[in-house]
Amino acid sequence: MEKSGSIDSLGSKRSSSRQPSVDSLSSSASTSRSDRSAQAKPPSAMSSDSVSTSTELSPELRVKPKTLSKKVPRDVDKEELQLLPNEKVHDMAQDVTYFCPFIGALRGTVMVTNYRLFFKCMDREPAFVLDLPLGVVSRVEKIGGASSRGDVSYGLVCKDMRNLRFAHKQMEDTLRKSIFEVLIKFAFPVSNGLQIFAFEYGQVFPVNGWKVYDAVSEYKRQGIPNESWRITKVNDHYEVCDTYPSTLAVPVNIPDEELKRVAAFRAKGRIPVLSWIHPESQATVARCSQPMVGVNGKRSKEDEKYLQAIMDANAQSHKLFIFDARPSVNAAANKMKGGGYESEDAYQNAELVFLDIHNIHVMRESLRKLKDVVYPNIEDSHWLSNLESTHWLEHIKLILAGALRIADKVESGKTSVVVHCSDGWDRTGQLTSLSMLMLDGYYRTIHGFEVLLEKEWLSFGHRFQLRIGHGDKNHTDADRSPVFIQFIDCVWQLTRQFPAAFEFNEYFLVTILDHLYSCLFGTFLCNSEQQRLKEEIPKRTVSLWSYINSQLEEFTNPLYVNYSNHVLFPVVSLRHLELWVGYYIRWNPRMRPQEPVHQRYKELLAKRSELQKRVDELQREVTNRSASSSSDQPGSPTRSITPVQTFV
Amino acid sequence: MLTGSKTTFKVRQMLPDIKERMLSQSGVNSRSRDVFGLRCLPGECVLQRAVMVRKKLTAREGRGWLSGTLFCTHFRVAFVPQDGPKPDDNADPVLLGDHDVALASIEKVVVVGPNRTKLVTSNSSLKFTPEELVLYCRDLRVVCFLFDRLTPDTQVLEITYTIAKTYQPPKPGSVLSFQNAALGSVEMKQFLSNRRRDTHMNWHESSSDWEQELERCGATGWRVSSVNDRFEMSTSLPRYIVVPQKVLDTELKKSFAHFNEGRIPRWCWRHPRGCDLLRMASFQNNIYHEKDDIRNLETILFGCQASLCVVVELGEELPSPADVQLAHSRLRALCLGDISTSVSVPDDKWLSTLEGTHWLDYTRSCLKKASEVACLLRGGHLTVALQEPDDRDLSCVVSSLVQVMCDPHCRTQHGFQSLVQKEWVMAGHRFNSRLNYHRDNDKEEAPVFLLFLDCVWQLLSQYPARFQLTDDFLLALHDSVHLPLFSSFLANCQRERCKRSQSLGQSYTPVNGWRDMLHPDFSPDPSDPPLPPVWDWALQYSKRRRDRFTQPVAPVPPLQPLLNGNLNTNPDTHRLTDTLPGSVFLFSRGAFSCPANLVPWRSSGGSGVYRKSHRRAASSESVPGLERLLKAWALSEFPQGLTSTVGTQGPLDTYEPLLPLLMGPCMGFWRECYLRGALHAQAFSHPISANHPHPVERLAREVQQLKDKLAQASQTDPHLGAKTAEPRWSDTNLNQNTNNGTFLFPAQRPHGTAAPRAAPPPTSTNRQTSRGPPPASAPPSRPSYKDNGGGNKHTFLFGHSSATEARPEKRCYPTPSNAKLPKSNGPSIAS
Repeated sequence: MEKSGSIDSLGSKRSSSRQPSVDSLSSSASTSRSDRSAQAKPPSAMSSDSVSTSTELSPELRVKPKTLSKKVPRDVDKEELQLLPNEKVHDMAQDVTYFCPFIGALRGTVMVTNYRLFFKCMDREPAFVLDLPLGVVSRVEKIGGASSRGDVSYGLVCKDMRNLRFAHKQMEDTLRKSIFEVLIKFAFPVSNGLQIFAFEYGQVFPVNGWKVYDAVSEYKRQGIPNESWRITKVNDHYEVCDTYPSTLAVPVNIPDEELKRVAAFRAKGRIPVLSWIHPESQATVARCSQPMVGVNGKRSKEDEKYLQAIMDANAQSHKLFIFDARPSVNAAANKMKGGGYESEDAYQNAELVFLDIHNIHVMRESLRKLKDVVYPNIEDSHWLSNLESTHWLEHIKLILAGALRIADKVESGKTSVVVHCSDGWDRTGQLTSLSMLMLDGYYRTIHGFEVLLEKEWLSFGHRFQLRIGHGDKNHTDADRSPVFIQFIDCVWQLTRQFPAAFEFNEYFLVTILDHLYSCLFGTFLCNSEQQRLKEEIPKRTVSLWSYINSQLEEFTNPLYVNYSNHVLFPVVSLRHLELWVGYYIRWNPRMRPQEPVHQRYKELLAKRSELQKRVDELQREVTNRSASSSSDQPGSPTRSITPVQTFV
Repeated sequence: MLTGSKTTFKVRQMLPDIKERMLSQSGVNSRSRDVFGLRCLPGECVLQRAVMVRKKLTAREGRGWLSGTLFCTHFRVAFVPQDGPKPDDNADPVLLGDHDVALASIEKVVVVGPNRTKLVTSNSSLKFTPEELVLYCRDLRVVCFLFDRLTPDTQVLEITYTIAKTYQPPKPGSVLSFQNAALGSVEMKQFLSNRRRDTHMNWHESSSDWEQELERCGATGWRVSSVNDRFEMSTSLPRYIVVPQKVLDTELKKSFAHFNEGRIPRWCWRHPRGCDLLRMASFQNNIYHEKDDIRNLETILFGCQASLCVVVELGEELPSPADVQLAHSRLRALCLGDISTSVSVPDDKWLSTLEGTHWLDYTRSCLKKASEVACLLRGGHLTVALQEPDDRDLSCVVSSLVQVMCDPHCRTQHGFQSLVQKEWVMAGHRFNSRLNYHRDNDKEEAPVFLLFLDCVWQLLSQYPARFQLTDDFLLALHDSVHLPLFSSFLANCQRERCKRSQSLGQSYTPVNGWRDMLHPDFSPDPSDPPLPPVWDWALQYSKRRRDRFTQPVAPVPPLQPLLNGNLNTNPDTHRLTDTLPGSVFLFSRGAFSCPANLVPWRSSGGSGVYRKSHRRAASSESVPGLERLLKAWALSEFPQGLTSTVGTQGPLDTYEPLLPLLMGPCMGFWRECYLRGALHAQAFSHPISANHPHPVERLAREVQQLKDKLAQASQTDPHLGAKTAEPRWSDTNLNQNTNNGTFLFPAQRPHGTAAPRAAPPPTSTNRQTSRGPPPASAPPSRPSYKDNGGGNKHTFLFGHSSATEARPEKRCYPTPSNAKLPKSNGPSIAS
């Protein structure tokens, strides 16, 4: 036995054997066979290399009340393909080999539906199952020609940090297509004139997630309109800016006509609008795109007046900070393309700060390097320097540091800030949403976080379709970039530093990322609100929030304490950031957590409500007794006991 | 206010004899110990103080700033928060308050001026008034004090000079004066000599201690031998060692010569499956083996019943002490940073620099080796002997790690303390040399014990729910190592601890009880301070801190049967018969081998039966069998066998080892220890990371309160509710635990909360303070402290005088639990 292998495998074996505790005992064995990283939590709809997934993750089953007695039948189910509503099997092939990088070659059956690839290997006991939503597939490539043994081999590059390799015998009937040719058709429906599965998925959930966000009521929650800010419908038909939402909050003394002139000076017409307002100091976070300064240093009276109005809306400070997310070199280079940045001469009382965050291409490259370092093999002895060379954590740090500076200016400096990058839909969204997460405890609840995503990302036109490339076979598209993944990573870093400040748990974040790709829900389809409206996404698809909000207990952090008005200031030193192992390296069976944390969390939630119940009971009893024994006593202390609120 | 810069405050100790004797019974002198709000140790002098100082709090302390007064005494730099709890005059002395730094643990003093920083030494003079004082500590803390503009300049300068002059620059001989400053007073000596030692742990000092351990492990066939009673057989071994029953002391005596330093194979622990774990030094090669010797050696090595012995060589794959020292010094340089030299590593090179220290590599290799040994032991029917050339460093690490992995008892606080006592203190780890307290032996310095603590922390962070001890405990132990005050660490072996009278006078005082038992003729040298064992935590930490050493509820048992189920389902046992009885194998680099010179007496051409039979046993065919066996354990090819039996298995095997994940990304970095320097941290935080009770804790408390109320109500006390007691928070910082995912319910913790109270809705109180600039002064838990202190003495636990005070309380709260109020819950009803 090789020295290096022995203990690692001990460890992994060990951990996999512990796995069952998550759901049921017998699933343990099955999990141990699979190469799913299988976080110690119920499998997500995506992390589905495992036997235990298929049943559990299909939402329709999940929503049903779970009973312990169902365990045994469920285990059987797990090895079978559970079709979602309107999911159809389109092809099936026997004798396909899956080369698992952790277990080795496995021989089994492949099924391709309009939603997923399902591989099952019955040779092993327990059966090995791989359940992969096709939306995850980024590229399918045929590796080599027909070999001497007549095998054809296909590689599937996935968007979620893994690569899969399959092989099967050369077709004898040359007219018959390989199953992987069929797969290509359904993996890239947009390129093949088909519909994304989200439009067919007919699941009905008890909660309608499309109702989660309403712009007007969110502004109302923030106290808008007020004496300095108003809500405008100038973009009602997306005429001022086709990538902005229809409802915008702007300074009260800027009429709609002037907004249009400001729009002419901002890239893509993305004028500065309010994202968040401090409930006390009235300091605001506003977002926009770069000004169209150009090489000649063009100026716009309207734009200058507009920013002055934003500053004036906050009586606490006579200064305005403009945060340009880009490195200053890049901002200057943008002048050649007509863009640029605000000059401090033109904008009185404004201070411009560059946050040095790199563009989407750098981020894409960084994640690619990270994938190389973590999948499938990890070089133990150089792990940290390899990780460093990807610069991934450094990028995370810069984003967090930028958001921290924004939050600090608003909270401690009581100063309004304007945030932009080039177009104001990538880095700007990261920065505004992260700073809002730090500033406003509402966004740290499950519902609030959904609102935050709907508002800062979806309604303000982060181009999900382009960045992710849903159903598009063009995997080299330069518009693809893990901007949103990076944001979720930053949120995870925050949850690590403030474990009790967030109502949601890690599984919530992983689930969001999984369904970012899965194309099961309509939430992340399209590039803008306008497109979503045109495609009738809310009518034709199911929202991810319907699924999540129908089973909140899966996503709730039991450690959560609702200190809604407290501001989080994370430590952004690289020394205090960590790689999100539970997401990026989850496919490696040797990385499975040792303790089923998710299970424990659930127990804790149950225990908490049990305690709460006991408090209530005791309180009732006390009230009764004291009422009977000393009813004439005013100010009995029983009344002064405040029941602790639960926010489960 | 101070007038003269050099004024010192000497505590008056001129007390009448009778009074002193009386006081010494409780070990305290209540009136005179409070100097300007600082509760001095007996005999401790305040050399200098500075008012209006703010201390930067670390993340663990809740971050932010705390205002108060800074003191420098002979022994420590003390910080007393402005509105902290009033010291309880009758409490036992605590060496260091929550915010104090012992002078001996200071490594560097740096001041920050308007636009410069300067390293301050005992003869430097400052040309500017410092705004900030940064103490770099040997235990990797960085403590930062900020002077206010209102702090008198003289005070600032003087306290800086005083600290710089008084702290112990590492030089030989300074340790003794430090010890004297802390423990040297008559009162302190008396107090220490009256301390009862903790009976919940096994000290492994007497032969009955060892017998108790044998019994606990269910080890039969072994006996405690006192053959080394006078340290004549081996100077570094303890008085009592555990050897096979079959070997007589006279036979035993002959075997010492065959091992380096006379450290013969000794029993450490037995796995419940029947495997024994032994430790030994390397063989002495050039010695003639007599036939009788060989028989004894064989018996000793094979233990009592096993037919198979595996020698695990620890030298090759593990770091040497010198490696450990180098790695640790790099780690310190990296983590402490140092603003005075500005050599701190840029953030973007942090990861590769951390990798370059190799500290995590060494942690990994120790854990890996221990995992291998744990797997061997799990297999059953063999004896595993750890062999290291001198058996005093890495074998301590590995043997104790194996036990932490396999034995749930060792994951409790007391069990862990017993383990350290057994495998480190008594086994003769050279603490004194390795920690180099006297700074006189840099060559030998190597913090092997700290490496071990890091390994335990790795296990704890991967299996948070399986430990009863917490990382607060590990941290406390880590910090104590840097205080040259404890008998546990101030000697290299038991013999040195016992040889106190001959030593230079700084090393040893027998712990209480020994004197009479073992050394009737022992007369303590009155000039030396008696040194307490490190396990006397009450000397160092307040009750509040000590409460965090353990998780309030017992660790959860494993949630399902683990790998391999139990022995019956283990298909490997029969394979053991493949190998001949009496075989010895070497386990190294993950593989078994049978080198000819493994056991010198077998290869040295002795004669007779042994040689013959073992030559056959050593044949190479049997090796693969064994290797297969290990592989089988490691890869465990039979999970389905396991699952088929799970339903019926009943109680779980709690001895199933905790095998850590060892891949690069799985090795954690102990930030709470190494990155405690406040300089890295922001000064704000979420309130829950301060000492706020978690909602679950509040719930639990309410349950308790309501129960108490019910009890009262049932007594139909007419005064019900006429008086409400003050809020009492137990300061268990739940959040600290939750960081590890070990979330615990304090419901079972005896809160002793006696009275109903109006719990202020925490969210609303918080709302008032949370907006605007973060509170500059006290953490939110402050008020509760004040309530606790209350200005009202709560002394009924300690003296008869206050019994009368306590009585009305009893009358008021008739529930039985009230009579046993812990002192921390102390405000009397009158307050």
